[in-house]
Amino acid sequence: MLGYTGKILNVNLTSGEIKEEVIPDRVYEMLLSGVGLGAYVLYKRIPAGADPLGTDNVLGFVSGLLTGTGSVITGRWMVVCRSPLTGGWGDSNCGGTFSPAIKQCGYDGIFFSGISKEPVYLYVDNRGAELRPAAHVWGMDAVEAEQALEKENWKRKKPSIAVIGTAAEKISLISGICNDGGRIAARSGGGAVMGSKRLKAVVLAGTKSITCHDPEKMKEISKELAVKIRKQNMPGFVPGSILAFGGSMLGGMKRAAPMDGILVGMLMKRWGTPMNNLMGATSGDSPLKNWGGSVVDYNKSYYKNIDADRIIKRETKKYHCYSCILGCGGVCDIKDIANGEFSHTHKPEYETCAAFGGLLMNKDLNSIFYINELLNRAGMDSISAGGTVAFAIECYENGILTPEMTGGLELTWGNAPAIIALIKKMIAREGIGDLLADGVKVAAAKLGIPSSEYAVHAGGQEPGMHDSRMDPVLGVHFSADPTPGRHTIGSGQYYDIMHLWEQVSWAPVSGSYLKADEFIPSEKVALKTVANSCYKEVADGSGGCLFAMTLGINHWKLFDWLNAATGWNKSGDEYMEIGKRIQTLRQMFAVKHGVDPRSFRMSKRMAGEPPLTEGLLKGNSVRIDEMMELHWKMYGWDEKTGLPLPETISQLHLDEITQGAA
Amino acid sequence: MGKGIATINYAECMACGCCVQACPFSFLDLMKTDVDVYHKNYPQLVPDHKCTGCGLCATACPVDCVTIQ
Repeated sequence: MLGYTGKILNVNLTSGEIKEEVIPDRVYEMLLSGVGLGAYVLYKRIPAGADPLGTDNVLGFVSGLLTGTGSVITGRWMVVCRSPLTGGWGDSNCGGTFSPAIKQCGYDGIFFSGISKEPVYLYVDNRGAELRPAAHVWGMDAVEAEQALEKENWKRKKPSIAVIGTAAEKISLISGICNDGGRIAARSGGGAVMGSKRLKAVVLAGTKSITCHDPEKMKEISKELAVKIRKQNMPGFVPGSILAFGGSMLGGMKRAAPMDGILVGMLMKRWGTPMNNLMGATSGDSPLKNWGGSVVDYNKSYYKNIDADRIIKRETKKYHCYSCILGCGGVCDIKDIANGEFSHTHKPEYETCAAFGGLLMNKDLNSIFYINELLNRAGMDSISAGGTVAFAIECYENGILTPEMTGGLELTWGNAPAIIALIKKMIAREGIGDLLADGVKVAAAKLGIPSSEYAVHAGGQEPGMHDSRMDPVLGVHFSADPTPGRHTIGSGQYYDIMHLWEQVSWAPVSGSYLKADEFIPSEKVALKTVANSCYKEVADGSGGCLFAMTLGINHWKLFDWLNAATGWNKSGDEYMEIGKRIQTLRQMFAVKHGVDPRSFRMSKRMAGEPPLTEGLLKGNSVRIDEMMELHWKMYGWDEKTGLPLPETISQLHLDEITQGAA
Repeated sequence: MGKGIATINYAECMACGCCVQACPFSFLDLMKTDVDVYHKNYPQLVPDHKCTGCGLCATACPVDCVTIQ
């Protein structure tokens, strides 16, 4: 009774063989479950240089160690694989109910190798697992397929289903894996790997209990947080437009200081992530016009249209992922949009609003709702899709793409009908859409060198909608992480509200400081980036949500829950050592498969090379090469190459647990 | 667990859905209510449920707001 089940399920799609495997306790003590368990299995099993879309790649679905143990906001599941988009380590996480469902079937993870001859899905319940034909749902979008599979498999308990849409069936490298009718593990191209294996879905209907060491203690910690969150209610008379003012204030401040993260709960409960739509535009956080513009271009006459109030006005119900006490999600009525083609959509996240709003100079909110549903159903990553459309618009503006090539689409900034038409082409891989369906790096390689200036990415992954020229700490994570381009690994702002220094001896205390100091490479800033990423790996091993992390370790007591769930008695420093181990193993995985970590450096535009000439970020550039070197050095990796040093691998005992790797 | 059916104390419930996922028969579901200002979906027994009072939902609740009564 340690919070984890100690078992995984291995499915060979070529032979049809399904086998249980016991994982030693020591692996969990060293790497937790979730992403750590995934890294352990994939590092050992995938041969160096294996084709990400071939039989040797392994696709894993893993649950978090804390999922189902009585903790809260710890219900995330993760997909892991060798990424076809970056060539290195691939992972992506998602909410909904799929994470507890994995454990209720008796496993911490389900891993697929090989390639099926025909489309199949895996069904698992208490009695066992079997592969079943999926030809009847192949070709359906993710929502239709989920509904069909739910209907045919709902005997006693409603099954939890992870499923791909048509984008992944067509092996789009920017496709993800969907669940709960509109959630998606979107990043790293995991959908393409699932599509390449002809695995349409994983259907889980187990009802086994999830146990842990000290359930009473687990609940005691949860209740303490619940009392605080219950009090966080934004008065109804406060308008969403106040967030634009808040953004201007934040963006204009020369100094930063730690804040109490519990306030994030108030904003999340009211608006969800669209709370950042206006704040991001006015603070400089949202990249605008394919990272080439500023709020001078995407000014109030534009951004007022994506006000979070206008979004929640359509919200017919709130949506919580499993075990979440914040509930940032929602379901919105869109019957009046696009001639009633869809009745509703999951509330568009900030990332989607920014990727199809300011990044494209688009002020048509209805088009964002519609595109959100198109992408959720196709199972295509909205961040990457938005970044790719922005690339296409700039190529069109500069004559690299012509009307003949676009099939007559006038790809101009903010042209919502053309953007919608292009997204449909990308999903269907039709005409110009085929060129763009694999993201900006692949498209730029096909179009030739002049287009590469407009291809904004890090290591092939289009970046999240947060500007590294405002927050250089974010730039380090975009560039120096085994999963490049991720806004979820960390930032200076996250660091200030996570309060890690309260439980981690080496995490720098964030007092009041000059924001300009963050632009100067230093060991102190590097310690922050190391702390951010170690903590993220602990959270991803536990099933934790990024928005719980931002409540602060003083409120969302991750380390205390881990001790209570497992019976361990580890300190904050020891858990961060586990985070460092997971991160180092992810980096070893990337290196094993031939990735040069220096090649993940973010595009020049993201680093402010050259800097913007107007707006809040005017003149800002990030000394990213020096910052990457310091980050790697503080990790115990070679500062010039990013390769984990042998003494670091040995000190973390990674040489021991990766013995016998393929 | 005592005799009875799943009963939710909405003053304490956080709408996290742990009880819903724990029910082996899906007799609980998250449904719209007027419990709070956000009109969140809170757990309720579905119409025509046959709750056995097994208590798995109560065990799963992180804030102890589900009881069998």
